[in-house]
Amino acid sequence: MIWIYYLPVALSGIGGLLCLIPKTRFEEDVSIVASFATLGASILIAFMPDASSFGLYVDGFSKLMQLMISAVYVLTVIFSIHYLDHIENKLFQTNLYFLLLNWFVVSMFFTVMVDNVGLLWVGVEATTVTSALLIATDNNEVAVEATWRYIVIVSTGLTISLLATIFIYGGFHTLSLNALLQAPQATKIVSVGALLGIIGYGTKGGIFPMHTWLPDAHGRAPAPVSAMFSAVLLPVALYTIVRFVQIVPLESVRNFAVVLGSLSVIVASLMAFSQRYYKRMFAYSSIENMGVALIGIALGGNAFIGSVIIILTHAFAKSAAFFLTGNVLAGYGTSAIKDVKGVSKTMPLTGYSLFFASLAVTGAPPFGTFFGELLIMTRMISVYGAWFTILIASFLVVAFIGINYRIVRMVFSEPDGQYKHLDDNATVPIIGLAVALSITFLTPVIYMFLRGVAVK
Amino acid sequence: MFNLNEIFILVGFIQIALVAFMQWQIYISSVIKTFSVGSYFLAAFLLAAGYVNGEPYLMVLGFLTAGIRAWFIPGFLSRMLRRDRWRARELKPVLGIASTIILSLLFAVFGYVIYTWTMYDYVHSAFGAIPVALFLQGAFLIISRSNPITQLIGYLVMENALYLFGSLFPELPFVVEAGVVLDVIGTVMISGVIVRLKEEPAQNTEVEDSTRREDFTELRG
Repeated sequence: MIWIYYLPVALSGIGGLLCLIPKTRFEEDVSIVASFATLGASILIAFMPDASSFGLYVDGFSKLMQLMISAVYVLTVIFSIHYLDHIENKLFQTNLYFLLLNWFVVSMFFTVMVDNVGLLWVGVEATTVTSALLIATDNNEVAVEATWRYIVIVSTGLTISLLATIFIYGGFHTLSLNALLQAPQATKIVSVGALLGIIGYGTKGGIFPMHTWLPDAHGRAPAPVSAMFSAVLLPVALYTIVRFVQIVPLESVRNFAVVLGSLSVIVASLMAFSQRYYKRMFAYSSIENMGVALIGIALGGNAFIGSVIIILTHAFAKSAAFFLTGNVLAGYGTSAIKDVKGVSKTMPLTGYSLFFASLAVTGAPPFGTFFGELLIMTRMISVYGAWFTILIASFLVVAFIGINYRIVRMVFSEPDGQYKHLDDNATVPIIGLAVALSITFLTPVIYMFLRGVAVK
Repeated sequence: MFNLNEIFILVGFIQIALVAFMQWQIYISSVIKTFSVGSYFLAAFLLAAGYVNGEPYLMVLGFLTAGIRAWFIPGFLSRMLRRDRWRARELKPVLGIASTIILSLLFAVFGYVIYTWTMYDYVHSAFGAIPVALFLQGAFLIISRSNPITQLIGYLVMENALYLFGSLFPELPFVVEAGVVLDVIGTVMISGVIVRLKEEPAQNTEVEDSTRREDFTELRG
C-alpha cells in the first residue's frame, strides 16, 4: 500500500499535464477533479501509519501539511476559475495558469513527503520554478518587477540552504531524514549548517532579514496566487526549518531561530501598521505570523503545537483574506486602502467576510491563531522571562490594531461611488473561514497527529 | 598521475579570475561566454576527480555540468540576447568598472578571511576558502549589475561555487546533485521568460517617467 503515499504528487502532477490538452475550459474541470482527488488521497494518508521507506518520510506533521496543502489547493482552483475572468491582459492562456498551479502544488507535496534533506532543497527550489510566472499573471511592469525580485532574492537565499545541506552531509555523511533524526549528537559543522539552513529556508518563509520579496510578490500576484503563497508556500518553507531544528536540537540553533522570528514579528508589525495598500498589508501580516510560528518551533513542546495551530489557521484564514482582496480589487480597481470605502454596503458578503478574515489572521479569539499565540507566549515566559514576552506580545498588538483599523475603515465606511458593480461571490472565502474557525475545535486531533513528532 | 588537490586549487583560482574578468565586461555576450568557460573547467575537474577516484557518478556529473551549465544554459542565454539585440550591453552598471573589479578581488580575499575564521575548524580543508570566495564574488556580481542576465549569471556563479564546495565532501548523493542541476535549468528558463518581459514595456511603449514612478510606488516599503 506504499503507493498511496505518492498519490498527492501523482494526481496533481497528472492534473497539470492534462491541462496541456487544448480544449475550452478543460483545464478547469481537470484541475477541480485533480484537487478533490488529491484532497481525498491526503485524507486517506492521514489514517494510514507513518512511512519512512522507499524515499518517503511521512509522519504526523507531514500528514497535517498534506491536508492543509490539498484543502487550500481545492479552494484556490475553485476561486481561480471565477477570478481569472477579471484579468483582462493575462500573461499566458488559462491552461498554462492551471498547469503551473498544479505543478506548484506537486513541488510542495514533494517537499513535505521526501526522506532526504537534499531533495527537500530540490523541492523548495522547484516551488520557485513553478510559481514565479504565476506572480506575473497580471502582465504589467510592476508585477514583472515583483517576479524578478522574487526569483533573485529567493534563489540567492536558497543557495545558502544548499550550503547548509552540504554542511549537514559533511557532519553526518547521510542526507536521509530518517537517519539524521536518529543520528548521535550534532557536531559543530552541523550546527553551522542548521544556522545557515534557517537563514536560507527562512528566505522562502518570509523570515527577516530575507523577507523583502514577499510583500512585492504577494502584493502584485493575482488573489488566488497570493493565497497559495501565503497559505501554503510559507508553511512549507517552515516545514524544512522544523526538520533542521529536529536534526540539530542545540540551544544555539533555537536561540538563533527565536531571534530571527522575533525580528520578523517586530519588522512586520511596524510595516503592516504603516501600509497604504491592503494586499501588502496582509503580506506583512503573513511575515508576522510566520515569525511567531518560527519562535514556537524553536521553543518546542507545547509552543510547537501552538505553531502548527497558527500555521493551519493562518492557511485558511489568510487564503480567505486574499481571495476577498481579489473581490475588492475587481470591484474597486485599486489596491490603495484610502480609495476603498464601504465594502460592507457595496459587497456585503465580501465586506463582512474580510472583517472576520482580518480578525482571524491577527490573532483574535476564538480563532486558532489566538490560542496558538497563547501557547507560544506561555512557553516563552518560562524560557525567556516576562519582559521579552511582553515586548513580542506588544508588537502583535500593534499589528492587530494597525491591520484591523484599516480593514474596519475599508469595510464599514460610507461608499463614495468609486466602484464597479460586480458579483459579490464570497462562497469560497467563507468556506475557508469556516475551516479556519474549526481548527480551534480540532486542537485535540492536531495533538494526536503531532504525538512523537513535536520538537523537544 | 593527477594530484586532485592541485587541480581543485587551479580550477578554483581560474573561476575567481573569470568572475573578476566578468566584472569588467560591458558586453553581456562576453559575460555569458566567460561563464561557459568557467563551467567547462568545473566539468573537467569533476571528470578528472571521477577518473582518479574511480567514481563513475562523478564522471556522469562532469558530463551533466558540461552539457547543461557550460553548453545549454549559455546557449539559451545567448539565443535570448540575439532576439533582443538592444540587451547586448550593460547600460547602467551600479558601480564603475574599475571599482567593481577591485571590490570583486577584495571579496575573494574577504571570503578567504571569513572561511579561515569561521568554517575552517569545522570543514577541515584549506581549499574550502576558494568556493567561499567564489560564492561572495557571485553575490557581488548580482548586486553590482543592473542587467538581469548578468544578475542571473551571478546566481549561477554562486551555484557553481557550491558545486565546487560540494566536491570537498566525497559521495554527496548523486540524486541530489542531479536534482540541483535540473532546478538550475528550470530557474534559468523561467528567468529567461521574466527577463524578456522585464524590459520590453520600457523599450516598446512611450510611458511618461512620472506615470512609471507612480506605478512602482507600491513596491516601496
